[in-house]
Amino acid sequence: MATVTVFVEAFSHYAKAMHLPRTLVTPHPMGRPLGPPGDTARQREVLEAALGLVDTADRPGVIERIGGVYRPGATSS
Amino acid sequence: MVGWFVARLGPVETLCPVSERVAATTVLSMTDPESPTESLDQFAQSLSYGERSDLSFKFLPRFDTAGIGDALAAMLSEIGSLFDTGDPGALIDLAIELQRAGYHSRPLTERYHYEDSAFTRPERPVAESQVALLTSSGHFVAGDDPQPFGIDSMTQSEAEARISEFLKEAPSLSEIPVDSTSDSVEVRHGGYDTRGSVTDLNVSLPIHRMRELERDGVIGSLHSTAYSFVGACAQLPLIKKTGYEWADQLVATESDVVLLVPV
Repeated sequence: MATVTVFVEAFSHYAKAMHLPRTLVTPHPMGRPLGPPGDTARQREVLEAALGLVDTADRPGVIERIGGVYRPGATSS
Repeated sequence: MVGWFVARLGPVETLCPVSERVAATTVLSMTDPESPTESLDQFAQSLSYGERSDLSFKFLPRFDTAGIGDALAAMLSEIGSLFDTGDPGALIDLAIELQRAGYHSRPLTERYHYEDSAFTRPERPVAESQVALLTSSGHFVAGDDPQPFGIDSMTQSEAEARISEFLKEAPSLSEIPVDSTSDSVEVRHGGYDTRGSVTDLNVSLPIHRMRELERDGVIGSLHSTAYSFVGACAQLPLIKKTGYEWADQLVATESDVVLLVPV
């Protein structure tokens, strides 16, 4: 069973120390790892990037950072 | 020690009838000679489960006195800029960067260091895989309250007030059908600011977004149950016992992939 983990930047050092198999780090605040409330586009973007690591990571300990900024108010739902 | 005098004078409404929101707050005074003195360090500590508990800023005591002052000054500067720009983006970015700096300022304890990685190669593409979801966000189905310490319907404030007890308590896993509606799922977690999760569960328990990915063929399927627990729990039982049990439970779902979302 393959795993992939989404961390906010504040806790990304855990991913490194624990040698997690695949990690996506988001530039989001604590408690909102997927994105702002109501911003379905951002949430989906993060999920697709994270799940994409399952297909692309070829070694353990891969840590990728997704770009963008955290901007609440984009109610794309 | 910084000569910052902080006193609670009561509602601003008694001094200046402005908005209801401001009226509900307290004000700072640097003039009342009867006010007790409070250092910056004490102020920062009050944000971390103290009298001003604010879980978005509970990291502030991790900074030294100068760092606390610099952080506050930087945030005030950005608020000042807001008067002219109206754009809170820089303030948000600063707060997120301060969170990062705060939590990265201290080394992790040995229990979080692993020499190798349990890397499992997927047997099929994600688009053909069943995906399961496990988060430490503290969500549960309404009517299926995990009842920490035997208490039903514990409030978020109560959970924050009892955080030290949570950290000694073995974790409990909640099962959440992925077809649950937003109003049928609740969240309570004494370790983080849950307001975003209350507003939209998908910020930390993305069951609706994952179902959309299933519908659109990005993933093969989503396991019918999502799992969530309060990450602020006794860590050693989690590492040495419960984690293995939950891993077996996830294996039994015959999922190919598990998406993990710690908060």
